[in-house]
Amino acid sequence: MKECKGYIDSIYSGSAVDGKGLRVVVFFSGCNMACPFCHNPETLYEKGEEYTVKSLVNRIKRYSIYIKRGGVTLSGGEPFLQADFVVSLNRELAKNGIKVAIETNGHVVDKNVIETCEYLICDVKNQETDDLTVYRQFLQTCKDCGKKVELTCVIVPTVNDCEEKILALKELKNEFADTVFNLRLLPFRKLCVEKYKKLNKQFLYENKEECDKLLIEKLNQIIQE
Amino acid sequence: MNFEAWKGFNLGNYCDKIDVRNFIQLNYTPYEGNSDFLSGPTKRTDKLMEKVNALLQEEAKRGGVYDIDTEHVSSLTTCEAGYIDKENELIVGLQTDHPLKRGINPFGGIRLCRQACEAYGYKLSDQVETEFSYKTTHNDGVFHVYNSEMRALRHAGILTGLPDAYGRGRIIGDYRRVALYGVDVLIAEKQKDKENLSMQDMTAENIRLIEELYKQIDFLKKLKDMALIYGVDISMPANNAKEAIQWTYFAYLAAIKEQNGAAMSLGRVSTFLDIYIERDIKRGLITEQEAQEMMDDFVIKLRLSRQLRTPEYNELFGGDPTWTTESVGGMGEDGRTLVTKNSFRVLNTLYNLGPAPEPNLTILWSEKLPKGFKDFCTAVSIDTDSIQYENDDVMRPDFGDDYGIACCVSAMKIGKQMQYFGARCNLGKLLLLALNGGKDEKDGKQIAPVGKQFSGKLNFNEVMEAYKKYRNWLCKVYINTLNVIHYMHDKYAYEKIQMALHDTEVDRFMACGVAGLSVVADSLSAIKYASVTAKIGENGLINGFDVEGKFPKYGNDDDAVDEIAVSLVKDFYKELKKTPTYRESIPTLSVLTITSNVVYGKKTGATPDGRKAGEPFAPGANPMSGRDCSGALCSLNSVAKIPYSCCKDGISNTFSIVPDSLGADKKTRVENLTDMIDGYFVQGAHHLNVNVLNREKLIEAMEDPNKYPNITIRVSGYAVNFHRLSKEQQKEVISRTFHERM
Repeated sequence: MKECKGYIDSIYSGSAVDGKGLRVVVFFSGCNMACPFCHNPETLYEKGEEYTVKSLVNRIKRYSIYIKRGGVTLSGGEPFLQADFVVSLNRELAKNGIKVAIETNGHVVDKNVIETCEYLICDVKNQETDDLTVYRQFLQTCKDCGKKVELTCVIVPTVNDCEEKILALKELKNEFADTVFNLRLLPFRKLCVEKYKKLNKQFLYENKEECDKLLIEKLNQIIQE
Repeated sequence: MNFEAWKGFNLGNYCDKIDVRNFIQLNYTPYEGNSDFLSGPTKRTDKLMEKVNALLQEEAKRGGVYDIDTEHVSSLTTCEAGYIDKENELIVGLQTDHPLKRGINPFGGIRLCRQACEAYGYKLSDQVETEFSYKTTHNDGVFHVYNSEMRALRHAGILTGLPDAYGRGRIIGDYRRVALYGVDVLIAEKQKDKENLSMQDMTAENIRLIEELYKQIDFLKKLKDMALIYGVDISMPANNAKEAIQWTYFAYLAAIKEQNGAAMSLGRVSTFLDIYIERDIKRGLITEQEAQEMMDDFVIKLRLSRQLRTPEYNELFGGDPTWTTESVGGMGEDGRTLVTKNSFRVLNTLYNLGPAPEPNLTILWSEKLPKGFKDFCTAVSIDTDSIQYENDDVMRPDFGDDYGIACCVSAMKIGKQMQYFGARCNLGKLLLLALNGGKDEKDGKQIAPVGKQFSGKLNFNEVMEAYKKYRNWLCKVYINTLNVIHYMHDKYAYEKIQMALHDTEVDRFMACGVAGLSVVADSLSAIKYASVTAKIGENGLINGFDVEGKFPKYGNDDDAVDEIAVSLVKDFYKELKKTPTYRESIPTLSVLTITSNVVYGKKTGATPDGRKAGEPFAPGANPMSGRDCSGALCSLNSVAKIPYSCCKDGISNTFSIVPDSLGADKKTRVENLTDMIDGYFVQGAHHLNVNVLNREKLIEAMEDPNKYPNITIRVSGYAVNFHRLSKEQQKEVISRTFHERM
């Protein structure tokens, strides 16, 4: 069998904000979307480093003692675009007792991938649309596979911080109440400005305002009410 | 021996000979629970702390020195009793007759003592000047013997921080012995030893030891007199918890009155004291609240410890540290934890009295520590940034289960081992010395044997060959320099009370050190994996490097460079062992800088890793700031590779992480930090300073000191009040890597 190759932008060891517990985050190269607020544009425009499943697992295993309570988060980019690689990676990690969460935009639905992970984190991109149909399809598949999902959404002031958008998210969560275990609002930040400059690409949301903690707290209240 | 004071204790070997460990093992109560039992501060403690805080503010206002006693040479009985608030103190005793007033200690060297007085607008008294004009100090002795190479290396800053003009410190007296046995038993035991030795052949070594025993006995008698100044008789064993704390503190106080060593560490007293506290609680004599109150009072006293230093000294050891290091926790050789309720109480002082750098609370971490204690420790780190962690699982096999940490990271069996502090060698300058054919890169002086002057594109193998040649030469001069220093320190500034609280026969370490490990590892990596060209200036010396291409950098868990760092320390250590040492001391090595990484950087020209001339080094064994960019765990893994087996004097790693990056809430942060520390230490890593804070907070504190007046941070094996660092040191701390993922 031909060995499956993966294209990885970078690996970050020791994150506590990409899922439960301490985690190693693997950023996959390549994405099916090009969100104007994307904070990892390098995964969009660069090919990434080539890894075999074995070489990536060996890399991750160096941190296995730290991440017993946590695990690995596959992020990107869009990991679902490299489905074969992700499936064999997840199986290999499982053999080593390492749990995997996948962070996705939910637009590429693949049962095989979903089945091999512990849970999923789906970022809802409602900034430029009100149509959340694609997420319903994604959540339904996760539900069918018996996998839990955490929904996230990047809040950009004046773009998607209005009550209707928040209530739509809440509705989505409630609709899949037994699948979605959390809805986490993330503040829009512009730490990625430098990355765009380096890539010589335009950061479309450069002139938008950053989101502060207070706004997140306020919107969280709407969800809890 | 048996005493009324021991009633209720299990008896054993410790009754026949001095053996504190045996007493602890037979009598302590391991505690596996959580922190719920702890008590807050009493009104009395709060009131006393108000007074202490006012004194501390006044000290800061007066430029860092409250007052100096320029009349009396500091020793055990040269000062009258001093109090903060006599009626409201539970534990008594100060170094001088007034809190924060500093004593003078010219035995290390009169010149430095004079300069220190002058720096703060004082003048050493004529009487002291006259008395010491007839006396050879430790500093005099050393300079009578130093050769030209030693002087040159010292002057160039290749060997720095050498304890040749002040007390060497890093010796831990077993202060607990005074509480357990009373001073009379200790005197009798030393007299017996002296009698035995005096019947043997009078070799130079034997005579030296007998004379030392004479001094030890003399100072044990003085220790009793010192306590009597406070109206306390410590001839006999302590009867209860309060006395046990008081007796122990008096012994420590005697040490810091007699010696002004850089690091005057306390040892491992919490669990020992817990035995007395438990007995008193069982007897219904005290409550938990009272036990905490006594520990609070004890710690207040420890926080007031001061030594007089010069401004130059403060550049090396910023923030006025005393390294009153107390080692807390750990596991016993029999598998029981040495954590007791008093391990919690001593940490709880950081809440009851507020965060503070001293005492330097050091957690002896083991994978097997009770969960409740682990979680409490990491919570204390998150809340106070005041404590450090050292790996009990790598130290216990060598040092047993009754060792303590001296200074930042130096382990020793309490009362059985001591060390000769040897400061450190600047590896960055050593590399430049090798590239410049033995000339100092700053002033062009030939300070080492003549060798090839490198220029143009550097070849890795050639550079390594030259580096090794100079390293081997340096290691020999380094050990010989330390031999001179410690011969003279033993002769002219012997630690009488501290050594009286050791066994008569002790093991000695010759504690060497290196600084600039990450600079040299990255430099060699650049030469090996990228293309480095040495540029020659007008004076014929290298004045900079051009680096083309990428190269692996230490701190990213990349074996290609991490292995260079590993072999740097391994080979250095191997070489150190080749030169005979004073009193057959065993050479050890540390990778530690204190805050001197800033000064080392200042004194070091540009290096092949791209570091500019004068830029600070990273502290200790840390990766260079900003270069460890693959995440916290990669950074930790790189440092964990530095082998403790050849760095038994410690490997310091200072780690800063942003609170939000550790998790969303306190509980998650505690769990994640515990996992991080566990994972780091399971790999055999040695030490971790933990700061959980935002860079912005430090910048704000720097710009507006009133905003966070008590901000405490871990810098390098110790903690400081951020405001007591120099501007340069503050800037360096701010420029360090703060692991952050948002």
